[in-house]
Amino acid sequence: MIYGNDQHAKLLNRWPKPHATFSNQADLSRRRFFEVLGAGVTGSYLMRPSNVYAADTAPRVTLQSKAKACIFILMTGAPSHTDTFDLKMVNGVTPTKFAPATMNGIFWPQGLLPTIGGQLSKLAIVRSMHSHALVHNLAQTWTQIGRSPAAALGDVAPNVGSVVAVEKANERTVNQVFPTFLALNAGGAIGPGYLSANYAPFKVVPATAGLANTSNTDGQARLDARLKFLHSIDDNLRVNSPLGKAPQDYDAFYSAARGMMYNPSVTTAFSYTAAESARYGSSSFGNACLVAKQVLAANGGTKFIQINLGNWDMHNDIYGAQTPTGNNLFTLGKQFDSGAGTLLADLDASGLLKDTLVVMVGEFGRTVGQLSGSGGRDHWLQQFAAFAGAGVKGGRAIGSTKPDGSDTVDYGWKYNRYFWPEDLQATVYSAMGIDYTKQVDTPFGRTFEYIPDAGDGVYAPMDELWG
Amino acid sequence: MNSRNLQGFFIFLAVGLASAQPPGSNDDPGIVDHAECALFTGKRERIVAGGVGANKASGLGRLTEDVASRLGWTQSFVPGGSRTGALQQDPLAGLGTIDRNLFGEMSKAGVIPAERTNDFEFIRRATLDLTGRIPDPIRVQSFVADTRSNKRELLVDELMAKPEWVDKWTMFYGDLFKNTSATSQVRRYTEGTSAFQKWIRESLGANKPYNQIATELITSTGTNSYTQGDLNFVVGGFITGGPQQDIWDGQTVLIANTFLGISHLNCLLCHNGRGHLDTLSVWGKAQTRQSAWGMSAFLAKTYASRTPVQAGDATPYYWFVADDTTRFRTDYPLNTTTGNRPARQPIGAQATVAPVYMFSGRGPKPGENYRVAFAREVTGDFQFARAAVNYVWAQFFGKGIVEPLDGFDPARLDPANPPPAGWSIQPTNPQLLTELAQDFINSKYDLKALMKQIVNSNAYQLSSRYNGKWDPAWEKLFARKFLRRLWAEEVHDGIAQTSGLLPSYNLARVYPNSSATEAWSMRFPETEGTPDAGGVVTRFLDSFWRGNRDDEDRLSDGAISQALDLMNDSFVMTRIRGTGNASLLLAKNLSLADDQLINTLFLNVLSRYPSASEMTAAQAQLKTGVRTQAAEDLLWSLYNKVDFIFNY
Repeated sequence: MIYGNDQHAKLLNRWPKPHATFSNQADLSRRRFFEVLGAGVTGSYLMRPSNVYAADTAPRVTLQSKAKACIFILMTGAPSHTDTFDLKMVNGVTPTKFAPATMNGIFWPQGLLPTIGGQLSKLAIVRSMHSHALVHNLAQTWTQIGRSPAAALGDVAPNVGSVVAVEKANERTVNQVFPTFLALNAGGAIGPGYLSANYAPFKVVPATAGLANTSNTDGQARLDARLKFLHSIDDNLRVNSPLGKAPQDYDAFYSAARGMMYNPSVTTAFSYTAAESARYGSSSFGNACLVAKQVLAANGGTKFIQINLGNWDMHNDIYGAQTPTGNNLFTLGKQFDSGAGTLLADLDASGLLKDTLVVMVGEFGRTVGQLSGSGGRDHWLQQFAAFAGAGVKGGRAIGSTKPDGSDTVDYGWKYNRYFWPEDLQATVYSAMGIDYTKQVDTPFGRTFEYIPDAGDGVYAPMDELWG
Repeated sequence: MNSRNLQGFFIFLAVGLASAQPPGSNDDPGIVDHAECALFTGKRERIVAGGVGANKASGLGRLTEDVASRLGWTQSFVPGGSRTGALQQDPLAGLGTIDRNLFGEMSKAGVIPAERTNDFEFIRRATLDLTGRIPDPIRVQSFVADTRSNKRELLVDELMAKPEWVDKWTMFYGDLFKNTSATSQVRRYTEGTSAFQKWIRESLGANKPYNQIATELITSTGTNSYTQGDLNFVVGGFITGGPQQDIWDGQTVLIANTFLGISHLNCLLCHNGRGHLDTLSVWGKAQTRQSAWGMSAFLAKTYASRTPVQAGDATPYYWFVADDTTRFRTDYPLNTTTGNRPARQPIGAQATVAPVYMFSGRGPKPGENYRVAFAREVTGDFQFARAAVNYVWAQFFGKGIVEPLDGFDPARLDPANPPPAGWSIQPTNPQLLTELAQDFINSKYDLKALMKQIVNSNAYQLSSRYNGKWDPAWEKLFARKFLRRLWAEEVHDGIAQTSGLLPSYNLARVYPNSSATEAWSMRFPETEGTPDAGGVVTRFLDSFWRGNRDDEDRLSDGAISQALDLMNDSFVMTRIRGTGNASLLLAKNLSLADDQLINTLFLNVLSRYPSASEMTAAQAQLKTGVRTQAAEDLLWSLYNKVDFIFNY
């Protein structure tokens, strides 16, 4: 989305001093920062210049504010919408194994995604979502930052999870040692952009043994003896350092790191048994969903969890007609279904779902109707998004598409237009109680609006999810 | 290092030092005062190890003394204290560009600089900054023992002649030129990335003048980005989802950021400066979108597009870049209504924009290739030299003379032509920036000459420790050296090198120009996914924020994950062992007597000897429990010391 000078003038007229800096709003004193230092929190050593204006913390818009945390499942590679959350049976094409059924009023591929089918009462499916772009990396980035990567600030824009980490930093308590922004199986997750590495995603690939490097192969006793010796020869550099504050900060990271090590709460949250993994489908995605649930249950300060599940880019043999055991909708769908479906059920059973927004979305959709010559589906703008938890009213599809699923016919919300990635992230912000129209100054002086042009009503959250 | 060599060297040092001390320089800490490491204690300690120490009175480094003397501070110099005594006439005469300007400003502000580094500090600092490696312990000893007055200059020449210098700066310029195989906008594939890395490596290896590097990157044409590395630069400006003008704009922005340090051109390619850049840039707020189009118009005859590797498959592909082909023979057309930037509409009767370089008003000569003209203007612009030296300066001094490095405001650089009231001059030391840029031009854009000038300056050789109260306002004076956390690659390579256990990564499978047995991460073609595609070593390197050359910058921040990794990661843990692999540092030296073992470990890992208190603590440590384990714990501690993790 682009805007001209008129809109900029309007913005400036409306809020002549709308800027609050990240370092100025809801921020932490240096002392407090290190008090609540959690994993993923970092320190930078030279001051970054930044304009400072008075904080303007009162939201200018009505927010849902129902979610204490968000689990954001990014289905990279772009899943076929008409084979999943916007099912369209194509004669002679859709496999009979899909066994479609109407569940909770939603036409659903029960044979493909049975576990999620049992959780549809919790899911609201938006069928009027559209992507701006059909290039994987571009659209994936777009989805994670809620703006065009090609537009102004696009190349330095933070992951929405990083902004959430900034906004929620002050809610951390001293005992909360978990990372605020956790990224599971998401090595390519967009980082903190121009923000400090303080707010970067803490990237983890779950393993049965738990978080990497939170124990030492030589055991706890020897580690602590080592640390004691280290301090005896290094504290003249770490405490009241003649070298400045950088080594002192580094020492704080060691203290915080030690706090995560041999910590039963961390161990419990990040490790799991084979039996627990089996409930989630014994896949890496399932393990990520399992760890996400455990992390939220630990209440260790984690606010945003991104989980990536790739391989949806099925240009060839999408139903596995040629190679049933290869990557196709059935094999990948099983991983997705067991992981996400069990996650929804467990969050609900533990009571966490009412405070947790769960989002499932790809970067775009896929071609509809007949398959391509190579038995697959290619890139398509029409797509879906699914929401659950945090008060979202489930068992519903919002918006509807043409009989073949190629385009939206009913947008299903008050703005009567497509639901874009910007709208999706505005929805996440709103659910988390974050003003999505907020404007902050960047170190290089340019104003950063959480969702571009949202203050002008160009993008907006979908309140219908709750209504 | 071979323990016998080390023992022998101690004997050499012990015998040689008495006569090694030059007459009349007994204040110089460079020869024997090294291990007292004032840096580490705040007060000087007697060195006990290896017989190489002697207690010294507190004193200035000789070079700093020279400067202090010129400034009239000699008799009353108290580091960190206040200056007394009158300035001598023209005290700065004879100093080089850097020292004259920096010490001149310190003098005006009445700020006393930090002390000079000792030889141990200097060789570690310079070796890391120039080559990204921890110095060889034998070289540390020979350097310290060297009595030649120009030994630091000789060391700098030696370091810049090493292949590791090419490795480190290939990594640096790979970052600056954004050489990565995939971004949100463009794919070069690993073949293109590998070709581009090879091109950068060969250019630096030949010490190609920087204006020539820039010219070749801006003007390259060819048919295959897998085999012709320089094509991969302008390819990086490619923008999807819009008209051809968006791509030309993207390429122009890339060139302006990289070679002029002026990122605000990006803003101007959407809209006039007025109403947007009013509080950001004196220059920018007066510019128009039309004038910015004049810059993009230099790209308007350029066509960058893809050729599938296999006909019929959309991917993978390589790139070709061509000029003046069909459809690419006009000036910049004003005919867009869609894409990533606001509509471009004809200005009155004017439907196209001709190339005009904003800062000179000149366009191409008759018949001249547009990009050749653009490269001529860019590299001929004094701002080109300013941006180039500022990028390099920041690597050595921890921050640029102008920050951010790509945030130059051309209207706030010259004190003789000051900006309007309310605006400050942008460089912290404008005269220094101007002279440094002019020196760079006079050297024919010689990057090695620039780095030599920097590292040989007294200002670069100041200690990072500051005695007395430090005022953060003095940062801009560069009155002390700022710490730099080691790059991810320096941490990895430093631990690998000093431990004696080199890893072996097969990069050749994916990157055609790489080795199948690569040990050094500084030689990796890109900073994302290498070397094991998201495996444990990738994760270790990513902890130290190496960036991705797209939307994540290389950062020097610390992190909890870094502490977790340095304490526990198998990359470290396998390298502290005293048994098993015979090439391990500790396994090789475990039979040494305690003091010698301690000295050996300190010298290898930290490039210095222990202080007296460190020696005492380490001696006690080695007598605790099983000696092999105690020694492993000592080595572990050295890798976790902040003077390993930082270049100080």
